[in-house]
Amino acid sequence: MGAWRHFPIFMITLPLLGAVLMPFLGYLRERWVPYAALLPLAASTLLGFLLVGRIPAGDHLSYHLGGWEPPFGIEIRVDHVGLFLMLVVCAITLLALVYSRRYIEKEVSPGRRTAYYVLYLLMSGAMLGFTATGDIFNLFVFMEILALSSYALVAITGNRNAVRAAFKYVLMGAPSSIMVLLAVGFLYSVTGTLNMADLASRIAESGYTEVLVVSYILFVIGFGVKAALFPLHMWLPDAHSIAPSPISALLSGLLVEVCAFALVRITFSVFTRSATDLVGGTADAVGVAAAAAVLYGGIMAITQKDLKVMIAYSTVSHIGYIFLGITAFTAEGLTGAMYHMLDHGLAKACLFLCAGNFIYLKGYRRIEELRGAWRQMPWTCFAFALASISVIGIPPTAGFISKWYLILGNIRAGKWLYTIVLLSGSILAAVYCLRIIYYMFFQAGKEEAWEDASRDVPPGMLVPVWALSLGTLFFGVFSYLLIPSLLKASAYLL
Amino acid sequence: MPDKSTFSVIPLIVILLPWISLLAILAFPKKAERLRLWLCALGSLASFGLLFSLLPGILDGKTYTIKLASVVESLEMRLTVDTLGFYFALILAFLWMLATIYSISYIDHKHNRFFAFMAMCESFILGCAFSANMFTYFIFYEMMTFGSYPLIIHEETTIARRAGYKYLVYAVAAGTVLFFAIVAHYFWGNGELGFGSYGVLSLEFASRAALTTIFFTYLAGFGVKAAIMPLHGWVPDAHPAAPSPASALLSGVILKAGAFGIIRVCFNVFGTDLLRELGVYVVMAVLACITIVVASVFALTQDNLKRRLAYSSIGQVSYIILGLAMLAHDGALGGVMHLTHHALMKGCLFLCAGVILVKTGKKNISEMAGVGYQLPITMICFSVCALAMMGTPPSVGFITKWLLGSGALQASLPVYIIILLVSALLNAAYFLPIIYIAFFRWEGDEVEGHGETHRPKLVFGKEADHKLVVPIVILALLVVVVGIWSNVTGFPYSLVSRVVNVIFP
Repeated sequence: MGAWRHFPIFMITLPLLGAVLMPFLGYLRERWVPYAALLPLAASTLLGFLLVGRIPAGDHLSYHLGGWEPPFGIEIRVDHVGLFLMLVVCAITLLALVYSRRYIEKEVSPGRRTAYYVLYLLMSGAMLGFTATGDIFNLFVFMEILALSSYALVAITGNRNAVRAAFKYVLMGAPSSIMVLLAVGFLYSVTGTLNMADLASRIAESGYTEVLVVSYILFVIGFGVKAALFPLHMWLPDAHSIAPSPISALLSGLLVEVCAFALVRITFSVFTRSATDLVGGTADAVGVAAAAAVLYGGIMAITQKDLKVMIAYSTVSHIGYIFLGITAFTAEGLTGAMYHMLDHGLAKACLFLCAGNFIYLKGYRRIEELRGAWRQMPWTCFAFALASISVIGIPPTAGFISKWYLILGNIRAGKWLYTIVLLSGSILAAVYCLRIIYYMFFQAGKEEAWEDASRDVPPGMLVPVWALSLGTLFFGVFSYLLIPSLLKASAYLL
Repeated sequence: MPDKSTFSVIPLIVILLPWISLLAILAFPKKAERLRLWLCALGSLASFGLLFSLLPGILDGKTYTIKLASVVESLEMRLTVDTLGFYFALILAFLWMLATIYSISYIDHKHNRFFAFMAMCESFILGCAFSANMFTYFIFYEMMTFGSYPLIIHEETTIARRAGYKYLVYAVAAGTVLFFAIVAHYFWGNGELGFGSYGVLSLEFASRAALTTIFFTYLAGFGVKAAIMPLHGWVPDAHPAAPSPASALLSGVILKAGAFGIIRVCFNVFGTDLLRELGVYVVMAVLACITIVVASVFALTQDNLKRRLAYSSIGQVSYIILGLAMLAHDGALGGVMHLTHHALMKGCLFLCAGVILVKTGKKNISEMAGVGYQLPITMICFSVCALAMMGTPPSVGFITKWLLGSGALQASLPVYIIILLVSALLNAAYFLPIIYIAFFRWEGDEVEGHGETHRPKLVFGKEADHKLVVPIVILALLVVVVGIWSNVTGFPYSLVSRVVNVIFP
C-alpha cells in the first residue's frame, strides 16, 4: 500500500482545507490571499499528475475514508475516467485562479476579495470530491457545496444584475438539489445502502421497479438542471454571462461537465447494464432533450449581441453534444463525450477568459465592439480564435477529435437523426464563432475604439488564456495519449 | 507497392519549408521589406526543390512515409509520398512558387498577412497531397480551406468580403458533409482509412446503400471545392475578388485539392471495380457533363475577365471528374493529367489578368481594346493559353482532349466526345473574343470606322516588372513544352501513366 493511494483524498481535502484557512490569512495579510490560494490547487494538480499511470487499466482505486470498509464507510473511487476528469478540473481551476488576481482587483470590491478566494477553493474542492466519490450521499453533499459556492460566486460583485442572475440560479438549483436528495433517499429505502458499487449489485435484485424508475428520473432532472440540459438550462445564460469571467470559465468549462459526469456514473455505475431497460425510456428522453439543446443553444448563440451570453448559449449547445455522446450507449460515444468534457472545458474556459480580457481592458461586452480588436489585443484574439476553432471542431484541435468520436458513436448506435443533429450543431458553432473571428481580424473598427491603450492585458492574464488554448491544440494533436485508454475505460463502464 | 515504402523525414520537411516565410516575416524588421518578401519566395522555392529531389526514388517505385501523430492505432496522421501524391505536389509547389514570386510585385498592402497565409496554405495543401489516408487528408484539407480565406478577402472591399462570406458558407457546409463521409467510411471500412492501390472498401463489410451514401457524401464534400455544378456558387465570386496570384492558385491548386480528393476516392478508396459495381460513376459522369457545358455557357455571358476565367475553371475541373467517371484507361489518364494541364493554363491566364489589371486598370473584357499592343508579351502568353484551353495542338489542352476522347471510345460512350466538342466550341466562343479585342480592336475603333491610324504603338519588353512577366512566360512555355514532350521524366505522362497502368492494366 503505497502513499499514492492517499492522493485522491488529499486532492479533495487540500482545497477545502485551504478554503477554511483563507479567511484567517485574509484577516492578517489580505494581499497574500491570491497567491496563497494557489498553493492547495497546485498541490492537488501535482498529486493528480503523480497518480497518472498508477491505476491499472480497467480497474479503479478505492480509498476507504477513516479505514471503514465500503458498504458502511465512505468510499473514494477513482478510475481512469475519473482521474482524467479530476486532472481537467485541477488544471482549469488552477489556471483560472492565476487569471483571477488581476481581474478580481478590478471587478470585486476589496471587502469581498477574500470571500471570493474562499468560495473559489470550496468550489474547486467540491468539484474534485464530486467527481471522485463512490457514495451517493457524498455525491449529494459535494453537489450542495458546489452549488452553494457557485450561487455566491455568481453574485459576488453584488450589483443588481448579478444578484438577480444568482437568484434565478438558486431558484432552479435548490429544487434540483432536493430532487437529488429525494432520489438518494428512495434508493436507500429500497436497497439499504448508499455505496455505488453496493447499490449496483442490489438494484438488480430489488423488485421495486417503480421506485427505481422514479429515483432515476429524479437524478436525471436534478443533475440535468445543474448540467443545464435543455430545457432546464434557463439559469445558465444569465449566470454564466454575469458572473466574473474566471467564474464563468469554471461554471461553463467545468461545473456543467462534472454534473454530466455524475449522471454518467449514476447511469453506468449505479443503475448499470442490468437495469438498462429500466433507464432506457429516460435515456431516450434525455437524447431528445440533448438534440434539442444542440440546436437551440446554437441558434440562440447566433442571435446574441453580448459576447458572454453568446458563449453561454454555446455551452448549452455543447452540453447537448456531451449528452448525445452518452445516450448513444457505445464506447465511442462515451469516449467522445468524455473527450468533449476535456476540450470543451479548455476551450470554453479560454473563451470566457478572453471575453474577460476585453472587459478588463476596454469594458467591451458587445460583439460589435470587438471590430478590429486584433490590432490592440493580438494575443487575446489569437487565443480566442484557436479556442473557437476547437469549439467548431476544426482539425487539428481537440474539438475535432471529440466530434469524430461523438459522431462515430452515434453512427454505431444507428442513431442517424442525432448524427445529423451533431453535424448541424457544428455548422451552427461555425456560424457564431467565425462571426467573432471575422469581427476581430477582418473588420476595421472605429479608430478611437482601440487607440488609447496600445497594449494587451498583463501576462498574468495572458498566460492562462494561452495555456488553455494551446491545450486544445495539444490534445488535438496528441490525442493518442488519452483516447485509447478512454476507449478502454468506456468499454469497461458499459 | 507497399513493400518499397521507406521512412523518410523529407515529406515533413517539404511541408515545413514554407513556414520559413512565416519566420522571415517575424524575424526581420519591417524596414527590410524586400529581403523578407524574397525569403518568402525562397521558402516556396526550397520546398519545390526538395520535392523534386524525390523524383528518382518515386520513379523507382518507392514511397516515402512518416507518421506524425495518431489517435488510436487505425486512426493516424501519416504523410506518404506515392506517385499520385508526388504528381499533385509537384505541380502545386511549382505553381505556388511562381505565384509567390509574382505576388512580391503584385501585392501592394498588408504584405505580412498575405504572404503568411500563402505560406501556410502551401504547407497545408502539400499535406493534402502527401496524405496517406483520408483522416490526414481531411485535417489538412480543412486547415487549407480556412487558411485560404484571408487570401480571398485580401482586398477587403465589399465585394471581396461578400465573396469571402460565400466561400465560408460553402466551405463550412462542405466540411461538415465531408466529415460525415469520413466517419462513415471509417465505420463501414472496418477502421481502414488508408489508400489502397485498388481501393479499400468492399461489399463484404458494408451494404450497398452504405457504400453509396459514403460515395455521394464524399462527392458532395469534395465537389464544393472541385466546383461540380450545383455546388459551384462560391467560385465565380471568389476568383474576381481575390488578388490575381491568389485566384491563380485558387483555380490552379485549391480547386484541384477537391478534384484530387475525388481522384483518391475513386482510385484508392472505392477502386474502379466497386464504382462499376455500385453504378455511381454514372451520376458523376452526368454531373460532370452538365458542369462542362453549363459552365461554358455561363462563361460566355461574363464581361468581367476573371469571372469568365472562373466559369471556365468550373468547366475545366469537371474534365477531371469526367475522365474518372469514364472508368477507362485513357479517360483516367487524361483526367488526372488535366490536373496539371489546367493548373498551368489557368494559372497563366489568371496571372495575365493580374498584369492587365495592374497596368491598365481594366477588369472587363469589353474595355480591353488594344491591350495586346500595350502588353504584348502578356497577351501573347494569354493567347497561347487560351488556344490551349480550346484544345489546339501542340499544347497540353490538346493532350487532355485527345485522351478523354480516346477514353470515351474505350468506354464505348461516344456521347462524351460530343460533350467535349461542344465544350471546345464554347471555349473558343469565349476565349477568341478576348484575343480578338486585345489585338485587333483599339480604342476609338467604333467611332472612326477604320481605326488604322489610331493603332497604339507596340511596346515590347517594358510592359511590367520582371517578377510579373517571368512567371507568365514560364507557364506559357510549359503549356507548349509539356504538350509536346509529355513523356519526359517528371512531366505528367511519365508519372500519371504509372498510376493508371496499375489500375487499368
